[in-house]
Amino acid sequence: MQIIRYLVIKEFRQIFRDHMMARIIILIPFVQLLILGYAVNTDLKNVKTAIVDQDHTPQSRQLIKSMYASDLFLPAKSDVTPDNLEDRLGSDQVDLILWIPRGYAEAQSRHQSAQVGVFLDGRNSSIAGRAGGYTLGILRQENQRLLENSTLNASAFSLPIGRITATTRFFYNPDLTSRDYMIPGIVALIVTIITAFLTGMAVVKEKEVGTLEQLMVTPITPLQLIAGKTIPFLILGMIELTFATLFAVLYFKLPFTGSILLLFLGALLYIMVTLSVGVFASAVSRTQQQAMFTVWFFLVYGILTSGFFYPLENMPAFVQYLTYINPLRYFLPILRGLFLKGVGFFDIWDEYAALLTLGILFFSAAVIRFKKTVE
Amino acid sequence: MSKPESNNHIAVKAEKLTRRFGDFTAVNSIDLQVQKGEIFGFLGANGAGKTTAIRMLCGLLRPSEGEAWIEGLPVSKSAEKIKRRIGYMSQKFSLYNDLKVWENLEFYGGIYGLSKSEIESASDIMLARLQLAEYRNTMTVELPLGFKQRLALGCAIPHNPGIILLDEPTSGVDPIARRKFWDLIYELAESGTTIFVTTHYMDEAEYCSRVSIMVHGKIVALDTPRELKKQQKVTTMQDVFLKLVES
Repeated sequence: MQIIRYLVIKEFRQIFRDHMMARIIILIPFVQLLILGYAVNTDLKNVKTAIVDQDHTPQSRQLIKSMYASDLFLPAKSDVTPDNLEDRLGSDQVDLILWIPRGYAEAQSRHQSAQVGVFLDGRNSSIAGRAGGYTLGILRQENQRLLENSTLNASAFSLPIGRITATTRFFYNPDLTSRDYMIPGIVALIVTIITAFLTGMAVVKEKEVGTLEQLMVTPITPLQLIAGKTIPFLILGMIELTFATLFAVLYFKLPFTGSILLLFLGALLYIMVTLSVGVFASAVSRTQQQAMFTVWFFLVYGILTSGFFYPLENMPAFVQYLTYINPLRYFLPILRGLFLKGVGFFDIWDEYAALLTLGILFFSAAVIRFKKTVE
Repeated sequence: MSKPESNNHIAVKAEKLTRRFGDFTAVNSIDLQVQKGEIFGFLGANGAGKTTAIRMLCGLLRPSEGEAWIEGLPVSKSAEKIKRRIGYMSQKFSLYNDLKVWENLEFYGGIYGLSKSEIESASDIMLARLQLAEYRNTMTVELPLGFKQRLALGCAIPHNPGIILLDEPTSGVDPIARRKFWDLIYELAESGTTIFVTTHYMDEAEYCSRVSIMVHGKIVALDTPRELKKQQKVTTMQDVFLKLVES
């Protein structure tokens, strides 16, 4: 125990003696949350919209008004005609074009289907998909309005209508702001970086300088050494988690609806995995650069297969198997659940169990590999 | 009955100690015995295999063949016990440059299991002995090389080991710093500590009780400096070395 204590004291002295390091550790959560909190924003806003109105009737003007009613669609600056339509879309001057052909109002008055065209830039499939969806929604509302105004119960558009209309209501993140969804993920990333990277580098640094060999002739056991090297970063990781959570709640006004205890328990299990990754990376690396790249590889894999950006359900089956050994895959739902859903332990206990299992697996692998290096 | 008794006088022993790296044989079946209290000089040119040999004696490297003993304990089986009996100072002076002088001493004292008060009193004595008392709060990185070497020695022996193995402890420093370092080695030897020291400075060899000379992984001579000079019919260790290496 005493040996571990001296190792931890030494590590903290080294961390905080390096002023740059101390600054990085304190600034990382704030800067990352600030930048990423604003940058990682997949909300749909300000879609550059052009409307080609060849009908010039009160009805077509009503439709245009409905389109621009929200801040979702902004009038595009460039002129669009049926001839240059594709050109304008291709040159990124407009994202969406609504074409109201001649005869739109006339068709309505004759109780026939009126046609409109919606053109979207499919290269950005996510914007195109959602902008298209919103446009259809507006057309549907328009349809509904016409029906209510009309004494005749007939179809005015080619769009399907019926007595039952589905309305979508989003739970847990009612405004559907992607920021609320992303920030818990960023909190997880900050914790990962501090724990996995710094541990890996701190151990390899001793290899580079030669102090590791000196430690090998002292009575220190590999387990004591691992403990002495990981405990400081466990503590730092927990402090970072606290900073980041406070910042998310106080600055970004995220609702933290779960239990603090569950947050720390989840983080403890998760950090056990990331520390093991750091130790493992340091065992297989001879220089700090090698260790960095090893951890980096893990980090990229971790982010891409965690559901941070893309839903796991959309991934092909073999990639889904890969996600099962990704600790972030379990920690992310814990964080999102605690922040947004106010989940209790029994709602997410299987995530904790998975993290614990991974923690034991990763830690054993790291210890075995580390022992091989130092012996 | 005479055999185990005589073994008690042996601090370091190697038998057919060999280490190969691929096709290259760095240490080729060396035999040696170091008596307790001796200053044993382990000489050889750069690349002769001195560091490889000393690392096997400390248990840092497994021999390909042969065995080494520290105070009668086989290194391959009793690595943990041996760690408490030896102090090892590597060529790299394994100090933490971003710690202060006293913090280095405290850390190494701590990991050798000394208590807080033991560390405090031992550090004071050590700093005085190393003539580093006024540098107590200096950052290690700022120390001149000769001072670093003395500090590295201090950090290698907080547990007062019976045997100290030093790998080129004086390389790269001026003659005054070397002299000071050897004064420390003498002091330790006088208090009964066995010193096993590698060097390629032949004047240092003159200070040793016995020396071995290693060429291309083999020990080609092992005796007192005086005897070696007599055998080779020369007056300095320098000439002994040149004759043996060139033959």
